[in-house]
Amino acid sequence: MITSTHYLVLGGLLALIGTLGVLTRRNVVVILMSIELILNAANLNLVAFARELNQIQGQVFAVFVIAIAVAEASVGLGILIALFRNKETVDAGEIDLLKW
Amino acid sequence: MSLLDVVLFLPLLGFLALLILPAGVSRSAALGISLVIFVLSLGLIGTVTAAPDAYGFEGNTPWINTPEIHYHIGLDGLGLWLVILSTLLTPIAILVSWKYIEQRVQLFYAFLLLLEFGVIGVFVSLDLFLFYVFWEVSLVPMYFLIGIWGHDRRIYAAVKFFLYTMAGSVLMLAAIIFLYTQAGTFDYVDILNQLRSGRIVLSAQAEMLLFLAFFLSFAIKVPLFPLHTWLPDAHVEAPTAGSIMLASVMLKMGTYGLVRFCLPLFPGAAHRAAGWIVGLAIVGIIYGALVAMVQPNMKKLVAYSSVSHLGFVVLGIFSFTQAGLDGAVYQMLNHGISTGALFMLVGFMYERRHSLEIAAYGGVATPAPHLAIVFLITTLASIGLPMLNNFVGEYLVLQGAAQVSMASAAAAAVGVILSACYMLWLYQRAFYGRASESLAHHMPDLSKREWIAVVPLLILMLWMGIYTQTFLPAISARNASILQEVNRSATAGVPSPSGVSPEVANAR
Amino acid sequence: MPVSFPAGVEYLRILPEIILTLAGVLIMLLEAVWSDQRRTVFAPISLAALAAALWAAMASSYGPAFSSMLAIGGSATFFRALVIVVGLLAVLASSEYLTRERANGAEYYALILFSVVGQCVMVAANDLLMVFVGLEIASIASYVLAGYLRDDPRNNEAALKYFLLGSFATAFLLYGVAWMYGLTGSTNLSIIREVLLSSGAPSLGLTGVAAALIFVGLAFKISAAPFQIWAPDVYQGAPAPVSAFLSAGPKAAAFAVLVIFMVHFGATAEQLQPVLWACALASMVIGNFAAIQQSNIKRLLAYSSIAHAGYVLVAVTANSEIGAAAVMFYMAAYALTNIGAFAVVTHVARKGERFVSMSDFAGLSRRQPAMAAMLALFLLSLIGVPLTGGFFGKFYIFKAALDSHLVWLTVLGLLNSAVAAYYYLRVLVLMYFHEPGEGAEELPAAGASLQIAVYACAIGTLVLGILPDWVLDYASKAALK
Repeated sequence: MITSTHYLVLGGLLALIGTLGVLTRRNVVVILMSIELILNAANLNLVAFARELNQIQGQVFAVFVIAIAVAEASVGLGILIALFRNKETVDAGEIDLLKW
Repeated sequence: MSLLDVVLFLPLLGFLALLILPAGVSRSAALGISLVIFVLSLGLIGTVTAAPDAYGFEGNTPWINTPEIHYHIGLDGLGLWLVILSTLLTPIAILVSWKYIEQRVQLFYAFLLLLEFGVIGVFVSLDLFLFYVFWEVSLVPMYFLIGIWGHDRRIYAAVKFFLYTMAGSVLMLAAIIFLYTQAGTFDYVDILNQLRSGRIVLSAQAEMLLFLAFFLSFAIKVPLFPLHTWLPDAHVEAPTAGSIMLASVMLKMGTYGLVRFCLPLFPGAAHRAAGWIVGLAIVGIIYGALVAMVQPNMKKLVAYSSVSHLGFVVLGIFSFTQAGLDGAVYQMLNHGISTGALFMLVGFMYERRHSLEIAAYGGVATPAPHLAIVFLITTLASIGLPMLNNFVGEYLVLQGAAQVSMASAAAAAVGVILSACYMLWLYQRAFYGRASESLAHHMPDLSKREWIAVVPLLILMLWMGIYTQTFLPAISARNASILQEVNRSATAGVPSPSGVSPEVANAR
Repeated sequence: MPVSFPAGVEYLRILPEIILTLAGVLIMLLEAVWSDQRRTVFAPISLAALAAALWAAMASSYGPAFSSMLAIGGSATFFRALVIVVGLLAVLASSEYLTRERANGAEYYALILFSVVGQCVMVAANDLLMVFVGLEIASIASYVLAGYLRDDPRNNEAALKYFLLGSFATAFLLYGVAWMYGLTGSTNLSIIREVLLSSGAPSLGLTGVAAALIFVGLAFKISAAPFQIWAPDVYQGAPAPVSAFLSAGPKAAAFAVLVIFMVHFGATAEQLQPVLWACALASMVIGNFAAIQQSNIKRLLAYSSIAHAGYVLVAVTANSEIGAAAVMFYMAAYALTNIGAFAVVTHVARKGERFVSMSDFAGLSRRQPAMAAMLALFLLSLIGVPLTGGFFGKFYIFKAALDSHLVWLTVLGLLNSAVAAYYYLRVLVLMYFHEPGEGAEELPAAGASLQIAVYACAIGTLVLGILPDWVLDYASKAALK
């Protein structure tokens, strides 16, 4: 039987992986994906809690998060493309025009 | 709107007017405004000396509601002469700068008036918050005066001056806010009443910390050894007018603060710390004198002599005797006049020869006899010759110190002797001997404008040395009430609440 | 659950957001259909929209809006007015820059309007969902603004860093929000408050972790240490008027949310006090001591903004009504001062922002006395010299801290502000005590709208410094819930 706890643990793991990814990876695309992982961890939590509490609020929240995450990711990729045109790199370590 | 309001705000109006008026007239406009202020300020004397122990021209209007801050000003025997000193020295400083300041004239005179606004405000504020505001406001124009029109190392000196003062004053701000959280008001008179009546009781530790916070910021301004290092730099680098205002008026803000706030608000802590402070004052007196003795630079010499002279003032204040306190306040005025005059004369010499090194002069008395005479009178006043002003102040301070401890009086007296040494030696090196050809050529005697600037100070040196009755009664009366405050609280230990008078109880 | 539509009055309460959104959309549409010559009208349109929104925000009645998703109260009104004014000033300060860089596009104005909408939603939020949505609207628009000049590598880099760290922070916040929802069973802040106060409240340990995660997210947004690393790069790399906007608007909104959480989370928030204490101190120390070493004026202002975030956190740490009022007052004073300072920097930087080194300000008082005097005023306000808004801001903050018995934090904070005087003075020294450099090319006079922005900021700074009552009375009333 899969209980809410399972979902929460999975969410926690996803958040952890995402955080580690952001902190350790140098490739901007991978960093972006890691951030999405944390967002999805939050979504998982929201939906799991909504089921646990027998409410709809959490699910609605998750839908909003999905929509906004898409907007955010598209803006992020847009910024990355603009940068790539100028610098031809997606490595965060090489983006060092300003003191990092 | 009382006369005091007018005297306080005219400089601010003058500052704004000068920013708007065309640059061509700013010199004359500044002189005119500052003379009007001076004449008006003379009108303050009668009322205040008639009732020296009360606050004359008291005005109390709410300024800010949350927290309650009042525009509360008033004038008593302690502040009166310092205000007059400020209003007198501002036109003199303007006259002195007449030819010397050639760049950004408009801004220069505007800042001088803003400075006058700040210092007068400091001497008349009866609200701690208002006091702090003026205290900081006076800082900004002086910073620019030194930084823009100063000599070679002006930037270093200006920044050092600002940071030293700022570092001290933030602690004072913390103490003021803390007092507010205890008393629920920033009003000086009200807080004093509450402390006296025992409505607020500070623990010994809290009192000491508050005292130190105030004391530190005042001691930096005084400046008390070992916090004096900004002073020689600031003086040497400042233009003549800046040096005059700094020495004569701004340093007095520190000693004034000690008398007005440190003693009455925290008498217990003041008594406990007095031993250390007196020790520092004496070290300062002797150290300042010794360092002055070896200075090759005239301005630096006068600056270190200020450290020594202000040591006397602090010594007098922390003797907690009537004579000592009277002498200290009198000495504040004396120092303002004689050191102001010294800086002015040194400035005159600099304008002629473009050097502050004593070695660059020698034999000045031959080409410029009038300058030499005036310098001599000022020198004699500064070293405390009887019949001249400093004698009275130093005598009273020593008398007060002797009542407490013979040893400290004796040590301080050494400072008097040393001051005679360095000043007379300076005079000898600069004015006697054979004037070199080039020097004689470049050393015209005092011009009419320079005479006008210096004569009022010479008259005051004599007047204050001979007829102290004009000045001292008002000072003494206020000092007596401060001392009563200090000594009663200190002997009674923690003040008892039994002394609550009905008016005080109803006031809150 | 019966379907209920918001009442008419509730639409009036979100009128500012509606006006701004419509204006933003209108501007984007007009750009598509209009020829290039008519581009000059975008700035007036956005100014008119912001002015109308300001009026609507000030005139709005108090109460719930949008099915209780938003709650318009004193605090919300204050902050809505503030972020809208920030938007106004930013638009005014931008036009010279945009003309100069030949980038007078509609999307710039639309993005500012959208960002302001997001901030308005944030500060009025009464629901965790609205906090998140508002934060994202504000942030996404500002990510793009930070990289507005697509072909400028500095802009690209600033935008990317702002985006990566900003969205990382938002993700953290969201994860914390999810936990808070799960623990309390609601996303509505009023209900959360009741649940946390009730006897059946979840354990403080768990809600504390959720609140801490949320705090981390917000700490990024306000650039508080140790989450401040993005700020210097972003403020330096972004266009100067955008830096002005970013350092004032989103920061004020994030602080508003922080205050809302402090009020609603009760004991949970009190647990975080040691964390806030440490963050406040770290921000002040790191910001001030790093600023001392800077040679780029935008970077210097960035570090200074980190330090100022520290000061405001002191008031948040005090966790009292006086503290909340102090936060409001300080953010108002700081916003005006900082936008003014950045506006002058925008002007001096000239085309391509080539002149943003400190030494480029040498002798500015000779070349442009008025601009130099204004920058001097702003710097004095940042130092905290009396008769400027910055002074009263600091004063109220430290008073609030002492009222809450944070004696050490107060003393350390005040000492920090003395340290800070040093680097602000360096700029003053350069402007007033140095002669213009040899190669200083002629600096054109500032454009009219930039001048309006600078003078408006200066007047505001002085009014807040001389008659702080006008704002503080309002802030104090607003802080009483």
